[in-house]
Amino acid sequence: MYIKISNLTKSFKMFKRTAGLRGALKSFFNRQYTNFFALKQINLELEKGEIVGILGENGAGKTTLIKLMVGLLHPTEGDVVINGYNPWKRNHEYLRGVTIVMGQKNQLWWDIPASESFLLNKHIYQIDDSIYEETLNELVDLLDVRDKLDVQVRRLSLGERMKMEIIAALLHRPSLVLLDEPTLGLDVIAQSKIRDFVKYYNKKYNATFIITSHYTKDIQEMCERVLVLHNGEQMYDGKFSELIRAINPDRRLVFEFSTVPEKSYFNNLKNKFKFELKDNILTAQLHESELKNLLSTLLDEFSPQSMSFEDLPVEETMKSFFQNPQDYL
Amino acid sequence: MQAIIKKYSAVLKINWIQALEYRANAVVGVFAILSGLFIEYQIWSLIFESQSLTSVNGFEFRELMIFIFLSIIVGQLKSSWHTSGEMIEGIRTGDINKFLIRPISYFWYHFMMFIGVNSLYYTVYSSLLVALIIIFPGSIFPEIINIFGFILALLISIFLSYSIYYIMICCAFWFGEVRSIVVAYNLTMLVLSGQYIPIRLFPESIIEFLEITPFIYLVDFPVSIATGRMPTDMWLINFIFSIGWCIIMWMIGILVYNRGIKNYEAYGS
Repeated sequence: MYIKISNLTKSFKMFKRTAGLRGALKSFFNRQYTNFFALKQINLELEKGEIVGILGENGAGKTTLIKLMVGLLHPTEGDVVINGYNPWKRNHEYLRGVTIVMGQKNQLWWDIPASESFLLNKHIYQIDDSIYEETLNELVDLLDVRDKLDVQVRRLSLGERMKMEIIAALLHRPSLVLLDEPTLGLDVIAQSKIRDFVKYYNKKYNATFIITSHYTKDIQEMCERVLVLHNGEQMYDGKFSELIRAINPDRRLVFEFSTVPEKSYFNNLKNKFKFELKDNILTAQLHESELKNLLSTLLDEFSPQSMSFEDLPVEETMKSFFQNPQDYL
Repeated sequence: MQAIIKKYSAVLKINWIQALEYRANAVVGVFAILSGLFIEYQIWSLIFESQSLTSVNGFEFRELMIFIFLSIIVGQLKSSWHTSGEMIEGIRTGDINKFLIRPISYFWYHFMMFIGVNSLYYTVYSSLLVALIIIFPGSIFPEIINIFGFILALLISIFLSYSIYYIMICCAFWFGEVRSIVVAYNLTMLVLSGQYIPIRLFPESIIEFLEITPFIYLVDFPVSIATGRMPTDMWLINFIFSIGWCIIMWMIGILVYNRGIKNYEAYGS
């Protein structure tokens, strides 16, 4: 087992105070502390080379879990073992095999070109000259930023900066890559480039990826497996496609008639199935088994000009899920 | 070992490159010290003239000026305000994360950063020192051995100063914001280390107290060696004590860091 997380709990001590000057003064003299549980009893096992997405609304505990895995936080209870190491002990051997990219934080030096930060990482991670050159060239070409290498980081666009962050994070060829909101604020082209890159890197180096993202499309395209967190609790661990099916088993059929049938035919059909008709296009959003029945009924009498089965938009499905997750699982 | 040296010299180099990016900042920093030297000169000229003094506690005017000038230079060389400010801000905002996720020592990384940031000043201050030696021959480094003694005492002062700052910085793991502690320390240290007024002008009881603290090794010790005011037979015991303080402060720093990091909440994203 490459990663084993058992009964992981993380709480933070927080102090409460009411708004305004009075609240500030009261809190200055008499501070009231409470324990906030960011993660409760999380269990997770991962094999090397898996890509796992962590889903959850704001404050669900996604970033806390990532920070525990990279060793930035000490667990309150439970255990995390990655490749035989407890991350929070920050063993240098462990750190040489792991990396994290946080969408809102950067490790690059702001006032100097990214190439200088890369060189620094080369020495920090003790990367051999030949491996460094080879990896740098590969990453720079894949992410298409060769002409930006000698530009001060603060002069780069958000997308270019994120690509540079990813290069800096992967120069030492880590076997565990933690990506926290890697596509945050990026345009669709840059998002797509980063998603393709993750898949490529995972395949080539058999690296394990753990990804959090608010963009469900990121998770849908990159991760077969997902972990769903809600208020710090583990709600689901399994295939993303199965989660979507569990949340919304409906699919959509779009059937285009070559000739528009009689009105009476649709009146009969409406007694059996729920659908919409616009011109010569029938659209139905039903459970898969019902949809199959409808299709077979239609095909018995008509040959379509075109037809398609569609999954419902994942964004909408996940939105309704997070409003009341306990209703679905 | 070679890899470790390469690792930390790379940190030093990148900080030096960063320092070179801000040429205006470096120039202003150099002017700041020159204006400090000028003000001290004016104040002490007035004191000597108005009181018709020929010497103060064994210092003639020229000797006092040289001692103070050297003290200001040494005080600036060991100054960690820039690095400590960045470190505190890093703990408060979560920027420290980028060091914690890499196989590098937080203590040594920032020590190298501190040296790198100050590197421009080292060059300029060394030139000032050479100028002082030429202007006042025999008053600074009366013997060759004083040069070596001064360099060693200066290195100890730089490390000791950084180690003391490091302890205060690590308190940010508990309190979040410790800049007021650092400012209070800076002001106290300016006086207690002898950076602006030589300790030798203080009452005997205060001098005796300061001799058992690490502050005396920050400025007074290297300057006393450079000006030949400390007899050579006193050097060894003072070097032993100053190195002892370095080890104590370094170890306290490690202890505070190891405790503090467990409290760290990795703020920010």
